[in-house]
Amino acid sequence: MEDISGALALIGYGLGAIGPGIGIGIVAGNAVQAMARQPEAANMVRTTMFLGIAFTEALALIGFVLFFIA
Amino acid sequence: MEQLIWAASAECDPATDIICKPEFVNELFETPVIFSIGGFDVNRAMLLMLLAAVVVVGLLFFAFRKPRVVPTRFGTAMEGLVGFVRDEIAVGIIGHDGIKYFPYLLSVFLFILVGNLFEVTPFINFPITSRMAIPASLAVLTYVIFVFVGFAKNGMSYLGGIIWPKSVPIGLRPLVGLIEFVSTFLIRPLTLAVRLFANLVAGHVMLTLLLGSGWIFLSHVADIGPRAAIGLGWFLIGMAIFFFEIAVAVLQAYIFTLLSAVYIQTSVHPEH
Repeated sequence: MEDISGALALIGYGLGAIGPGIGIGIVAGNAVQAMARQPEAANMVRTTMFLGIAFTEALALIGFVLFFIA
Repeated sequence: MEQLIWAASAECDPATDIICKPEFVNELFETPVIFSIGGFDVNRAMLLMLLAAVVVVGLLFFAFRKPRVVPTRFGTAMEGLVGFVRDEIAVGIIGHDGIKYFPYLLSVFLFILVGNLFEVTPFINFPITSRMAIPASLAVLTYVIFVFVGFAKNGMSYLGGIIWPKSVPIGLRPLVGLIEFVSTFLIRPLTLAVRLFANLVAGHVMLTLLLGSGWIFLSHVADIGPRAAIGLGWFLIGMAIFFFEIAVAVLQAYIFTLLSAVYIQTSVHPEH
């Protein structure tokens, strides 16, 4: 088992990145839609979008760090 | 391919795990001590941290040393940056109370920005925020501030509002309260630090691998002949990532400051 542990961590990170990837897509896509519908609210939407992306991205980043720890 | 890199590199020691790395590759995990002052070892990351602080103070000092009616171009740029942090982050997120937290947010923003941009600064090429100690200390600072402000502004009802939220049905309150408690007091500082750290580590590792292998291949063109052309591909991809990393550096500084402001805001006005 010892020699495949590195590869397992890679697969784990790949699996962990699926959910946040979809999530960031949804956040950014809906933000673009909101900005296109209401351009005057673009500033507020952009700030909120970065917040949403930051929260979603955290999961993928924890997976990235676990890859080093594991 | 591995054989090729081993052969092309300067020191080949097949007994170790990391074979034939160029000297500059492993800085992320090894900290060679430059000099010691009375038991304190000083390494390059610490010197760069001091340099970042000096750069931030210098930027602010020279931009606002003597206010002019018509500011210089440099002064205008710094005014734009400072005004952005004040209007968009401090006042924009926290509200009118936000001006109190503006000095902290500005310091954190500029320090992280300079530290991140060290990643793409020639001859430095090392983001100090990719050493966990620095994002962790900054996250602990934000954590202390927002917990302290929460208790100072709202007393014990700050804790009560988190572990016994009034806005959900009574049957769900223990569960939601537990989740809220863990997410506020444990997950928040952890993700705040890890987000900055992981982004910069990822960028630094990518740049090191791509530009480093490009350099290894191209610099040993005499030994390996036309196969050195592989290095050109690595180098071009590395340069593309290089410019992408500039955007990441600015964005991560912004996001860290933005999230600090949001966390402070949830302590100042816990109901919203």
